[in-house]
Amino acid sequence: MIKVSDLKKDFPIFEREINGKRLTYLDSGATSQKPSVVINEMSNVYTNMNANVHRGTYVLSSETTTKYEDVRNKLKDFINAYSADEIIFTKGCTEGFNFLANSICKELSPGDEIILSEIEHHANIIPWQMAAEKYSLKINYINITESFDLDLDHFESLLSAKTKVVSIVGESNMSGMLPDIQKLNSLIKEKTDAIYIVDGAQLVPHRKIDVQELGIDFICVSGHKMLGPTGIGVVWGRKELLEKLDPVYGGGDMIEEVFYDSATWAPVPHKFEAGTPPYVEAIGLGAAVDYLSNLNMKNVEKHSDDLREYAKKKLENIKGLNVVHTNSKLAGCTFAMSVNGVHATDISLMLDTFGVAVRAGHHCVQPFHRKLNLDATFRATGYIYNDEEDFDILSDAIEESIKILT
Amino acid sequence: MSIEEKVEDYKKTLAMFPNPQEKYQYLIEQAKKNEDFPQELRIDEFKVNGCQSQVWLVPEEKKNKLYFKSDSDALIAKGLVTLIASIYSNEAPEDIANSKIDLMEEFELGVILSPARRNGAFSMLKTIKEFSQKLAN
Repeated sequence: MIKVSDLKKDFPIFEREINGKRLTYLDSGATSQKPSVVINEMSNVYTNMNANVHRGTYVLSSETTTKYEDVRNKLKDFINAYSADEIIFTKGCTEGFNFLANSICKELSPGDEIILSEIEHHANIIPWQMAAEKYSLKINYINITESFDLDLDHFESLLSAKTKVVSIVGESNMSGMLPDIQKLNSLIKEKTDAIYIVDGAQLVPHRKIDVQELGIDFICVSGHKMLGPTGIGVVWGRKELLEKLDPVYGGGDMIEEVFYDSATWAPVPHKFEAGTPPYVEAIGLGAAVDYLSNLNMKNVEKHSDDLREYAKKKLENIKGLNVVHTNSKLAGCTFAMSVNGVHATDISLMLDTFGVAVRAGHHCVQPFHRKLNLDATFRATGYIYNDEEDFDILSDAIEESIKILT
Repeated sequence: MSIEEKVEDYKKTLAMFPNPQEKYQYLIEQAKKNEDFPQELRIDEFKVNGCQSQVWLVPEEKKNKLYFKSDSDALIAKGLVTLIASIYSNEAPEDIANSKIDLMEEFELGVILSPARRNGAFSMLKTIKEFSQKLAN
């Protein structure tokens, strides 16, 4: 069980007041707050052992390298990868998708197809669009139903021998939708030889993930959404697939041998990590993984589910508020909302005056907003440091804001 | 009234509202008073880029003085652009172009004039200045 009042003490930011009120932070979908252990661990590296990794033959470099490489082991255990070599460090999910789109699509033939869904984050659309244009590939989008879930019949109808990549969000940053990954995986593997990639940006911070059990091929992970620092993320992929892929970035640290006219690549994972990696950020992410593992991801999941139940009832009872949220039994604690005749930025500026931090805009899901005929929504997302009181404050503040703005 | 005097006036008014919520409510009142924006002018040509909401600014020249009509689909942004438009309306293009006053420094308007949203207010001011500069030349 997560006891929020105790846990909040681990996060120094909650000592702050906003506009004279307690901070009600409901924007973890954009980025999570950081516990002291992450902040202190990064400070510790800079203070006591900083040196570039994989290079120096001295104590500092050896200590930093050991700490950095050990994060791969932590992540391997965290998502139950087959081996630590399958953990590729990236800047974040966006870089992860750009790497995968460039590297995978290069091997495809014109006319081959990629399947995405209508509710993807731009990070899981644009890299594929760019690659599709370059290699003459076709992108199909799975319809989203009126209750904001994947239309599985439509998905099945899109699967064919031409399908080479399926890349779908693991937990929607807009509707909270949690697709049945195992089911999708078996449909894909039954009908195609396509690669299945999961956008884990919102999923991995909130739910226990076992990539072996899910049977997927790749998952992109964002560090800063799971208590870690910015500028660090992970692509996990099956080793046999990673070995077949070419690197996208060239430079130091990713090579085996370099000649004036050619070069050979270092083994996986290093061939994908050119240049000095963000090793301090990676070590910070390691501390975040330890923190979440100590909480136990099953508890994190339960907390998210309980909070979602509570928040859903609370928000759906507000008069005049439209809530874009799935009706499925299971979903993420993420609610995009709108009020007829009131702009999302007005509501979010008003909420800020109550100390409530939410995001306003299209949350990098512009095509789906367009489909719903919405310019913008404001979005509240809950995480481990949020409790029922946060959603009580949000609800009251929304009601007050609607009164002021209408 | 000169640009500087108008800014001073608004500064005094805004200072009467100690917290951000009251300041926003003041802007909302200004927005609600600004009703004469013709729907047909809500076009791309007059749209101010870089705002989180849609903002339109239409300049008009009468007897060597500039006037600005403004609108937005969000109330607080509309209040802000109404205020900015009134500061620079009824002024000579060269006075606007030469005005060194930094509204973002002068007005304490919480997050709407903070760097996070500076782009929006900044773009409104840039649009006004650019138009005035063109006419002043």
